[in-house]
Amino acid sequence: MNPVVIEIHERACRGCELCVDICPTKVFRFDQDARLCKVEHAEDCIACLSCGYICPSHAIKHSGHHEVKNFYRDSEFCNRVGRFL
Amino acid sequence: MSAVPVTVNTEWLSDCSGCHIAIVDLHEKILAVLDSVTIQRCPVLTDIKDYPHATVGLVSGAIRNEHDRHAAMEMRKSCDLVIAWGSCAVFGGPAGAGNVHTREEIADAVYLNNKTTVSAQPPSCEVSPLESTVSPLDKAIDVDLYLPGCPPHPAFVFDALLALVEGRTPKATQESVCGHCTRQMRKTDVDAIRSNSDGIANADQCFLSQGYLCMGSATIDRCLSPCPQNGIPCTGCAGATMQVLTEPNRDIRTEIAERMSKLTKIPRDAIVKEIERTSKSHYSYTMATQMIGEKPTFLIRRWIAEADQDYQGAKYDTQ
Repeated sequence: MNPVVIEIHERACRGCELCVDICPTKVFRFDQDARLCKVEHAEDCIACLSCGYICPSHAIKHSGHHEVKNFYRDSEFCNRVGRFL
Repeated sequence: MSAVPVTVNTEWLSDCSGCHIAIVDLHEKILAVLDSVTIQRCPVLTDIKDYPHATVGLVSGAIRNEHDRHAAMEMRKSCDLVIAWGSCAVFGGPAGAGNVHTREEIADAVYLNNKTTVSAQPPSCEVSPLESTVSPLDKAIDVDLYLPGCPPHPAFVFDALLALVEGRTPKATQESVCGHCTRQMRKTDVDAIRSNSDGIANADQCFLSQGYLCMGSATIDRCLSPCPQNGIPCTGCAGATMQVLTEPNRDIRTEIAERMSKLTKIPRDAIVKEIERTSKSHYSYTMATQMIGEKPTFLIRRWIAEADQDYQGAKYDTQ
């Protein structure tokens, strides 16, 4: 299985380390000098997306993972935000 | 570039005019825009009173009275594509805070018993009466695209217009206000929430780390983060991030509390409670939209009643 691709928008990273703390499989490493988080073990990612949700800047994007349809979401609202510029 | 000339109508409903002023603030850069689009009806730039046919219609402001509803419908009829422009049109904006009061209460506070000016009767002619509730634009007409922001930075407005002309996807991202902020988020030992007037915040460190309630992490970036970069915590004027809008179990107060409690020693519940106590400020831009106002956990009337009870109790105690 191909690993999940994790992209971090470096300019948006505020150095809070919340992604490092929340990741259940220790995918991230915190670079103390640059005060930025780095992806160290992308192959361990289980695509729980916890890091993407906790990131204050919404700077972490995942691709290549299996998307689960969340039935609890309001489809009308999802459709509406799809048209946000 | 498209061969078909793009014509634009703009209209201004219940709002402060800021969205239109943002266009005028482009100064001479507007000339570059006029190469690609022709502005027709635009309350701050042209003197066109009717609604000529246009390819794009930008409508700012919420629906507060019959006039707003009529103008919105005229824009829908005259424009091929309608964009809800600014937080008032998208979410209801600050006018939406009127939804927690009756029309009689508003008339009483503004006209009959206004504490800061002479009392007067509410207008009975010329101005159409208030509707019972404030609605975002899409409750009155079909909206094709949404551009939140208070006002949306002109860079987003014209990138959106040029993207339509060129047939490409606009560059707008889904990042939050933190994405363009330059303050560093660090874990601290701060153990109490501070009000904005409490001391001067360190200019290099995130407001949340210092105990100030900043809404940046729960607010979509359509502003390029000028407030936190100039010493003012974000007030959430561009509206909530996509995850708050689409996920029923996430909310502005829980999103902020989640992060702030991990950055400081302040308990999560204390942060949630404080945002509920000041809910009219923290939800003022978005409470009129169903996406926030109809969340089952959004109990603003109860929070306001509780805050009022505390206030009355405190007054009683000091007497």
